[in-house]
Order: sequence, then C-alpha cells, then structure tokens
Amino acid sequence: MLRKKKSHEATIPTSSMADIAFLLLIFFLVATIIDVDTGIGLTLPEYIPPDEIEEVKVDPDRMAAILINESGEVLLDGKPISLFQIKNTLKPRIISKIDLPSNKKLIVSLKTDRKTVYNAYIQALDQIKMAYFEVRDEYSNSRFGVKFKDVNEEAQKTVKDAIPIIISLAEPEAVK
Amino acid sequence: MQFEKKRASTKEEIPTASMPDIIFMLLLFFMVTTTMREVEVLVDYKLPDAEALEKIENKRLVSYIWIGKGSRVQINDSIVQVDDVQPIMYAKREALPNVIVSLRVDVGADMGLVTDIQQELRKAYCLRINYSANIKI
Repeated sequence: MLRKKKSHEATIPTSSMADIAFLLLIFFLVATIIDVDTGIGLTLPEYIPPDEIEEVKVDPDRMAAILINESGEVLLDGKPISLFQIKNTLKPRIISKIDLPSNKKLIVSLKTDRKTVYNAYIQALDQIKMAYFEVRDEYSNSRFGVKFKDVNEEAQKTVKDAIPIIISLAEPEAVK
Repeated sequence: MQFEKKRASTKEEIPTASMPDIIFMLLLFFMVTTTMREVEVLVDYKLPDAEALEKIENKRLVSYIWIGKGSRVQINDSIVQVDDVQPIMYAKREALPNVIVSLRVDVGADMGLVTDIQQELRKAYCLRINYSANIKI
C-alpha cells in the first residue's frame, strides 16, 4: 500500500526581510546627498565685441563704483572704506532713489583687479545684495506690512520695480 | 489566599508582518527623492561663505563649473582649458536654453581666471550664473 507522503508546509522565511530592507534603506541614506544649491545669483550682460561697444554716459549720481584691489582694499566712489561697510554705505543711497523713475535708479558697479582674491569679490557682492535685500524688506514692510518674500506676486513686482537690483560688472580691461 | 492575576485573553504581540512593507515604503521614498552624485570632482575647492543666498529651485537646469586650487577648471568629468569653456557651454545651452551655470570657485582663486571664464560664458550666451556659496553662520 502506498503511503501518502507527509506534506511539508512550503514557506519562505520572511522574518529577515525587514533586515534586508533596512540594509537597503541604510545604503540609500548614506549614498545619497541632499544638498540644496545655494549661492549668489547674477545675470551676466550679453557679450558685445570690443569694437561695437558704445560708451554711454551715466549720471555720476546714479553710480556707485566699487573697486577692489589685489590686497582686498575697497574703494567706493574714490573713498577707501572697509569691505563690511559697503552694505551700510549703499543702503541710504538705494533708499534715496526709491521714488525716482526707473532710469534714475542706483547702479552698483563692481570692479576687481586680476589678482584680487575671489573671496573678497564674493564678500563685496554679498554686501551689495544684502543692502538691496534689506531695503526691499523695509520697503515692503512699510507698504504691505510683511517682508519681501512673504508678499504676493503683484506686490513683489511693485517692490522689484521700486528697487531693482542693478549690478554692473565692469568690462575687463585688456592685460597690459 | 492567593489572588489570581487577571490576564487578558488576547495575544500580547505586536504584529510585525507589515514591517517590511513599511520599510520598503521608506526605502522607495528615499530612492525617489534623492539624486545620486553624478560627477567626480577632480579639483580641490572650498566654497566661500555668504549671507545673501538664493536657492536654485530647479536642479535640472543647473550646470556646474568648478574652479579649484591651482587654477584648475573642471566641467562635466574632465579638466578643461579656459578656451574650451565656450564650445562646451554653448553646446549645453543649445540643449537646455535656460541653463543656470553654477560656479563653484575656491575662495583663494584669482579673479582674473573667474573673469576670463565669465567672458567665455558671455560669448556662449550662458548669462544666468550663480556663485555657489555656503551659509554664513
């Protein structure tokens, strides 16, 4: 007589599944980078060949010329100041031009030497940007009661129109 | 007299059968949301610190240029010369018209080199740039 084979229960052990999944999870946690790109944004001017450059005279009152030499010394409109004074020196000048038409707003010109250290340039750019951001915040605070980044799009546009960020990077001079 | 402890007749186990599913869900979340490091950085650089930072919202638009110590310039996976910047970046701009160029420049780099690369970018019509910097604490 044939005896029926005892039926084994065929199951895959799943108790270690969680551990395997955990290992995979840890791998992804370690191998991935969650870095947000932060930086100072800027739009470069279009390239114009040297022989087509037109010189446009700008009212000296509109200009804030910043020069940084190779040892990191700063000259603002011919007066030597420290790098960290740029913000507070520019702010009143930006504020004084809020009510003027768009062709009379302040232009900040930033010029460096070829041997200037990059860090000094970024610090200066940072100071200029901070000055603009603070003026924008103050302006939108006084008009709309909230900071610039919290106002609606329409109001943001009004603030942007009142205080446009105009930073001019001086055309590099030919190396002598 | 002995008191008999009252015991609940229900089982006292936490069901662990759904644990792998939960973990898998977490895993899938991480797999979907994160991006892998795509290029190997061949230059040595330290980013400057700044306060007036902006975030780049759209990572797909970003293209990097590294300028490291010893005036080494890297685009994509290789070290390039300043003269090569324009054709490479022009090709990138053709593929992606509103590309944002993120400049990851070492704090000690010379402005001369940075200006040269900016001039090349202007010629290549890549006008939106971003100076990568860390948050100053």
